[in-house]
Amino acid sequence: MGVGKSCLLHQFTEKKFMADCPHTIGVEFGTRIIEVAGQKIKLQIWDTAGQERFRAVTRSYYRGAAGALMVYDITRRSTYNHLSSWLTDTRNLTNPSTVIFLIGNKSDLEGQRDVTYEEAKQFADEHGLMFVEASAKTGHNVEEAFLETAKKIFQSIQDGRLDLNAAESGVQHNPSQPGRTSLQGVSNEQQGGKDSCSC
Amino acid sequence: MEDVLNDVVSSEDLKKFESVYHEQLRASHVTQKAQFEYAWCLVRSKYSADIRKGILLLEDLYNNYDTEKRDCLYYLAIGNARIKEYSKALSYVRSFLQIEPANVQVQQLETLIKKKMEKEGLVGMAVAGGVIIGIASILGLGIAMAKKN
Ligand SMILES: Nc1nc2c(ncn2[C@@H]2O[C@H](COP(=O)(O)OP(=O)(O)OP(=O)(O)O)[C@@H](O)[C@H]2O)c(=O)[nH]1
Ligand SMILES: [Mg+2]
Repeated sequence: MGVGKSCLLHQFTEKKFMADCPHTIGVEFGTRIIEVAGQKIKLQIWDTAGQERFRAVTRSYYRGAAGALMVYDITRRSTYNHLSSWLTDTRNLTNPSTVIFLIGNKSDLEGQRDVTYEEAKQFADEHGLMFVEASAKTGHNVEEAFLETAKKIFQSIQDGRLDLNAAESGVQHNPSQPGRTSLQGVSNEQQGGKDSCSC
Repeated sequence: MEDVLNDVVSSEDLKKFESVYHEQLRASHVTQKAQFEYAWCLVRSKYSADIRKGILLLEDLYNNYDTEKRDCLYYLAIGNARIKEYSKALSYVRSFLQIEPANVQVQQLETLIKKKMEKEGLVGMAVAGGVIIGIASILGLGIAMAKKN
C-alpha cells in the first residue's frame, strides 16, 4: 500500500479524501494558486509513483523542483526506514536551495502508530528538513505542509538564494502578470520493501 | 508542463534509456523493465516518430507479458492522444476503466483527451467526416450506376 502522496495532493487541491486510491502510474500533476505575502503564486506539483518499477524514470522529475515533499506512513516502519535512501536521491538530483519537507502521513491512525513523532523529528532536524505529521484523511496539517514549503521557497527567492532566471531553479516568474510566480515541487515516497503492491 | 499530455521528456533521459534498451537488444536479452522505461520516455517525446515507436514497444509488452497491463494501457492512451489518434486513445482509456472504473488518474486523462479534441474542433469534425463519407459512397454508387448504363 502507498504512503498517501496522491491523497495528500488531492486533499490539498480538492479538499477531499480518496478512500480507495489505487497506485499512481508514473506521474500525476496537480496545481493550486495560493497567496504568499500578498502575491499570487501558482504551485505546480508533481506526484510521482512510489512503486519501485517507476523509480528510474520519476527521478528526472526531481531535477526542476524548487521544493520536495517526502512522505512516509507513521503506521509502517519500513516506509520510514527508507527515508535516508530517498533523501540521498533527492539531494543528489536537486540543487542545494531546494526546500525539502518531511511528512509523516496517516496521523489519524494513532492506534497503529509504528514510528514515534520524536524520532522522526530528530531525523528531520539532523538533516535540516522541515517536518510535520499529517493526515490526508482528516486534512490535519495538509494545508500547512504545502503552504510552509511554498513560503520557504518564496523566502529563498527573496533572499536571493534561489535564482529566478536559472533554468534549473524550478521557479518561473511571469513579468507580464505581475505577482505571478510559479513554483514546482515533487512529492516522493518511501515505499516499504521492494514494491508492496497490494490493493 | 501543465499536464500529462504536454509533459515532454528531456533529451538526456531519452538517450539514457535508449542506450540501456539497445545494449540489451544487442545482447539479445531485453528486460521488461528496460523496454517499459524506454517506451515511457518515447511516448513523451516531441517527435511523433518516437511516440509511434513507444506505442509499438508498449503494445508488445501488453500482448506478450502478463504483468503491469495497466501501466501499458495508460501510456498507450497518452501516446495515441499525443499523435492525435484520439479514438484509439479513448479506447485504451475505456479498456482501463472497465477493469478499474473508479481510477481518478485515468478519469482525469479521459477528460483531458476529450478537452483536447474539443479544442481542436475534432468532436464536430468527426460528425462532418461521417457525412462526407456518406456523400462519397453515394457518389461512388452514382458512378457505378452511370457506368452500367
Ligand atoms: N487512514 C488513512 N489512510 C490514508 C491516508 N492517506 C492515504 N490513505 C490511504 O492509503 C492508501 C494509499 O494512498 P495513496 O495516496 O494512493 O498512496 P501513494 O503514496 O500515492 O501511493 P503510490 O501512488 O503507489 O506511490 C489509500 O487507500 C488511501 O485511502 C491517511 O491520512 N489516513
Ligand atoms: Mg500515488
